[in-house]
Amino acid sequence: MAMALLSAAPPNHLPNITLTQSTAKHCAILKPYFSFRLKKQPLKYQCLASTSTRAISDHEYGVGSDGSPLPAAVDPETKFQDLKWVGGTWDLNQFLKNGKTDWDDVIDAEVKRRKWLEDNPQSSSNEDPVVFNTSIIPWWAWMKRFHLPEAELLNGRAAMIGFLMTYVVDSLTGVGLVDQMSNLFCKTLLFVAVAGTLLIRKNEDIETLKKLLEETTFYDKQWQATWQDETSSSSKLN
Amino acid sequence: MASIALKSFIGLRQTTSENKSIVLSKPTTQTHRNFRINASKSSPRVTGRNLRVAVVGGGPAGGAAAETLAKGGVETFLFERKLDNCKPCGGAIPLCMVGEFDLPLDIIDRRVTKMKMISPSNVAVDIGRTLKPHEYIGMVRREVLDAYLRDRATTAGATVINGLFLKMDLPKSTGSPYVLHYSDYNTKTGGAGEKKTVEVDAVIGADGANSRVAKNINAGEYEYAIAFQERIKISDDKMKYYEDLAEMYVGDDVSPDFYGWVFPKCDHVAVGTGTVTHKGDIKKLQIATRLRARDKIEGGTIIRVEAHPIPEHPRPRRVLDRVALVGDAAGYVTKCSGEGIYFAAKSGRMCAEAIVEGSENGKRMVDESDLRKYLEKWDKTYWPTYKVLDVLQKVFYRSNPAREAFVEMCADEYVQKMTFDSYLYKKVVPGNPLDDLKLAVNTIGSLVRANALRKEMEKLSV
Repeated sequence: MAMALLSAAPPNHLPNITLTQSTAKHCAILKPYFSFRLKKQPLKYQCLASTSTRAISDHEYGVGSDGSPLPAAVDPETKFQDLKWVGGTWDLNQFLKNGKTDWDDVIDAEVKRRKWLEDNPQSSSNEDPVVFNTSIIPWWAWMKRFHLPEAELLNGRAAMIGFLMTYVVDSLTGVGLVDQMSNLFCKTLLFVAVAGTLLIRKNEDIETLKKLLEETTFYDKQWQATWQDETSSSSKLN
Repeated sequence: MASIALKSFIGLRQTTSENKSIVLSKPTTQTHRNFRINASKSSPRVTGRNLRVAVVGGGPAGGAAAETLAKGGVETFLFERKLDNCKPCGGAIPLCMVGEFDLPLDIIDRRVTKMKMISPSNVAVDIGRTLKPHEYIGMVRREVLDAYLRDRATTAGATVINGLFLKMDLPKSTGSPYVLHYSDYNTKTGGAGEKKTVEVDAVIGADGANSRVAKNINAGEYEYAIAFQERIKISDDKMKYYEDLAEMYVGDDVSPDFYGWVFPKCDHVAVGTGTVTHKGDIKKLQIATRLRARDKIEGGTIIRVEAHPIPEHPRPRRVLDRVALVGDAAGYVTKCSGEGIYFAAKSGRMCAEAIVEGSENGKRMVDESDLRKYLEKWDKTYWPTYKVLDVLQKVFYRSNPAREAFVEMCADEYVQKMTFDSYLYKKVVPGNPLDDLKLAVNTIGSLVRANALRKEMEKLSV
């Protein structure tokens, strides 16, 4: 019987302890309602937490002032339900099409499940654990669905850029395609064009790449900061 | 001033004959900056007394530092404002800490040998199969651990002062002492404490994330995460599940850049979460964490609510003149796991060792170069660990697909072995290169798959 004592209750029923503290203080060590007085015994460190809980049983979380359980903000009974979701994973037998597993359907089903869970986070339970692993879907199913369309797009872009640049270079310098390929400068240009097509797929990617580069060395810089200090202080005589 | 200069001349004559170092005809106050490596040998002898060092803060870092200093013959003052402080903390210590610091086994409340990682879509993976029977993660109560380390320091000869460090006067010239102002709580004046001062030659700042010592030396700021946790007492049969198991929940709902956890304590569990970028939403994140763990903590009572800051990276300045920062005050908390107790204690010990060595067991004055030796040793020893964890955090805590891939990867036995080995023994050991290659391929595969699913999810919502 789901008493839902710990369901997501509206904030005004949280223990009074939290309301009185201003969360603006970044080091909010919220004072307990009572203090832990630890009697140290010579040989054994006894935990006395149990003796203190009785004092605040009326602040039991999820119980209103009159002792009745609070209505849950999120209905605890909704779990992810699907006919094809059996025993914490997708039942592949139910995805058969013409005798073979339709992996695209499996991918779609998992996408829907993750989307649903992201919008309605559910408690994880030990009774029905989720054991699904994306690696049960074979690699070629992923390739066909995700890699190939994008590969087509990128190859198309690269081909268009390549054709245009070959024409431009030929008209400017008179060097034909075959002769361009044996020239180092042209080969470098080709490499840059391919790398650019791969890395920069959207306008935002340029910023993302710059940020990524900075990110890789940021932590190192934070650690080195104390050593920058040393060189500046050693120049002083004091 | 003149007497100090005179004494240093006398010291010089003896040292030049002993060490055959370059003859310093001028007083050491000017030239010890030029010969940084030999500086301590030419530092003036501290006559009539041993070197005095103040350790501000009596947590793991302070306790370990004070013990090592006292054992090394240095006159140590350990300042702690609250001797029975229950610092809110995850409370996990790696196996190597028990051996390295000779911790008695009854300090450890629980030995965690299993962990459960739970992805945003509730895929649950059990890790810990690769642990040997003697390996575990120790869960301790901070008040117990801190008191034990402080008592050991006292036994070694340190003086524990129950007082609050207020501020410190920096020395006006090289060789002058630091003057520490503090409120002594041991006196009969009760609540407010009596204002006192003490003169010391060097200071170790071990006073945690909001270190006052760090402020005094303008060590600079760092980014920090807020860790918020609730201690929940659950029924015995539910507690049995958590007897030696800790859980980690990842997901945007639980934390956008960290993780939510359920850690077993002595007779209750601590349910919490943390974040750097969304500190204002911490209550919402905590509710989401409780929701994700709801089935397992249902019916429990919240007995305590606490929060504490976790530094994300070291402060820009960790050493200035004869003041050094250790532990949380320096910012030595790893990314990804947020582990700090072991590194606090180790850095306290390392800094103390550097002082003992530089002062030749308390007979000579130390200077900045001795403290920088501690920094050098620390950076060299633990930099790989910190960097690897930073990379892991950047790659796997980025987004939900990355977290799904992370949990998927944790199912792999090789990953489990590497993770636990590096966590328990604090050494980044490169494994079998073939296995590493397979691991890299699998990681990329997981990431690609999860991100592909995410793109499809976005199509659904549009």
